Amino acid sequence: MNLAVKPLKFRQQSVIPGFGLTMGVTLFYITLLVMIPVSMVFINSSSLGLRSFWEIATSERVLASLKISFGTSFLAALVNAVFGLLLAWVLERYTFPGKKIIDGLIDLPFALPTAVAGISLTTLYSPNGWIGRLFEPLGIKISYTPLGITIALVFISFPFVVRTVQPVLHGIDTEVEEAAACLGASRFQAFRKIIIPELLPALITGFALSFARALGEYGSVVFISGNMPMRTEITPLLIRTKLEQYDYAGGTAVAAIMLIISFLMLLVINLFQLWASNRHKT
Amino acid sequence: MSIEISNITKSFDSFKALSNIDLKINTGELVALLGPSGSGKTTLLRIIAGLETSDQGSIIFDGEDNTGKSTQDRKVGFVFQHYALFKHMTVFENIAFGLKVRPSKLRPGKEAIEKKVHELLALVKMEELAKRYPAQLSGGQRQRIALARALAVEPKVLLLDEPFGALDAKVRKDLRRWLRKLHDEYPITSVFVTHDQEEALDVADRIVILNQGKIEQIGTPEEVYDNPANPFVYNFLGNVNLFHGRVHNGKIELGSLKLDAPEHTETADRNVVSYIRPHDMEISLEAGENGFIAANIIFIRAVGPIVNLEMKRIDTGEYIEAEISKEIYKKLMLREKQTVYVKPKDFRVFIPEDYII
Repeated sequence: MNLAVKPLKFRQQSVIPGFGLTMGVTLFYITLLVMIPVSMVFINSSSLGLRSFWEIATSERVLASLKISFGTSFLAALVNAVFGLLLAWVLERYTFPGKKIIDGLIDLPFALPTAVAGISLTTLYSPNGWIGRLFEPLGIKISYTPLGITIALVFISFPFVVRTVQPVLHGIDTEVEEAAACLGASRFQAFRKIIIPELLPALITGFALSFARALGEYGSVVFISGNMPMRTEITPLLIRTKLEQYDYAGGTAVAAIMLIISFLMLLVINLFQLWASNRHKT
Repeated sequence: MSIEISNITKSFDSFKALSNIDLKINTGELVALLGPSGSGKTTLLRIIAGLETSDQGSIIFDGEDNTGKSTQDRKVGFVFQHYALFKHMTVFENIAFGLKVRPSKLRPGKEAIEKKVHELLALVKMEELAKRYPAQLSGGQRQRIALARALAVEPKVLLLDEPFGALDAKVRKDLRRWLRKLHDEYPITSVFVTHDQEEALDVADRIVILNQGKIEQIGTPEEVYDNPANPFVYNFLGNVNLFHGRVHNGKIELGSLKLDAPEHTETADRNVVSYIRPHDMEISLEAGENGFIAANIIFIRAVGPIVNLEMKRIDTGEYIEAEISKEIYKKLMLREKQTVYVKPKDFRVFIPEDYII
């Protein structure tokens, strides 16, 4: 254990060459791809002044859209975490005919244009669609409700958890589970106390990716949500509406708010992930 | 607890891992399952633990049939070769795991668990490391924690799968002694798997030698070492010299050497293979009347009290190994390339029938 305070310096003695070059490329790349576009949002919205920025931020319609965006994305990420884990488990632990095909199908939501996904989901889940028809008699409407938005978000962000959990699950030694069984632990206890803690960092990473992806989603949601202000309007759509009305400052202000909240949430999730993966290494 | 293994057979696809194994292990015994890799020893151990199911046969603990029981219900302690510690738990939590997962009615209280864990930590001499994670321990320490964890649930049977296989020679020797001591203090039936004959001879009360899914011999270390049942056991337990020759009415001819073989008086003119341990070789500087074999010394290794000699027979060109004490070595003043005469002091003769070596 090294308790000495690490001196804050960029260059450390290392046998691996290329620190200067790779670090330079990294900084340049991040600046070009992330920092400049993101700061444009803040620069643009700063023309508003703090007072009107706050007014836009706390306007009823914006608040409602934020609630829907973050609520549905969070829910979708949760659903994906649970079922993604289950799918990863099935794909890693069992052998069955058609396994390769199912494994291949998982990445499909990434390849499909999101508009296509949105239209087909809307058709399926609308009151007279194949699936929506079954829920109609129960009084459950799916298309044009937050539930529909959640389903679309689940669809488009579904591969993340499966793909992050799979390799970790693959790496877990079955001996560990056998050891638990020898000590009298039931299958469920072994799963809860041995497997889940080992998977947790990957699971959180998958969750965060899924959540971030769902937050930014636009293409598929516009079709299934119905876009009713205050009820099924997501923030990305609200931003677009403002831009279409030439309210550039207002649009970027909403974007800025969304960015700040997203950044804070992802930061918290990542800190949690860091804790989960490092707590048994100190 | 006694373990009775009866008629256990197991195949993996077309590979026959175990065929018709019968074995009785008495209460309190420390038994070694010894064999080369692929001999089925680990499979047998896993079947005893219930981690693997046999194709036929039964496992009986103290007269009670355990064949259909799950691992959880068998109450065996199992120590894995690569420790299989829970790496997200501290040493303390690892050892306490077996007690904490018990149903609430049987679970000891928090203080009782703590007391038990500290008792076990004291037993493995690692009290000060309770808060460490497995990643922060050395191999030997991890294996001791794995042992303490297995003992926490107070099993009646302790099963160890190559427990010291991944450790370096010095630590291995220490742990071996420690296991023997532990076994003598705790009345527990233990079975351990090993491919290291020295380890088996050193620790076990009885050794079961397995080869290709069959038991070759069962016996105490002295029995199996001094009276190997067949050439495989002879070969497997330590170094051995092979002399090919012929037997006729109680006389064996090994090249120029003629020896008495009273157990083969009935045999008429057969090919034989004679097995002689290197330490049963007698070295002389002069050819005696009894027909010593002439050989050239090729290599001498004189480290420690035992001197290893590698020689080449002049008549057949076969290699012979011998171990002699340093005193004799000094008295004879042996040098490399010197010609000496060797004669077996003790030997075993097998008539090769099924055995092809």
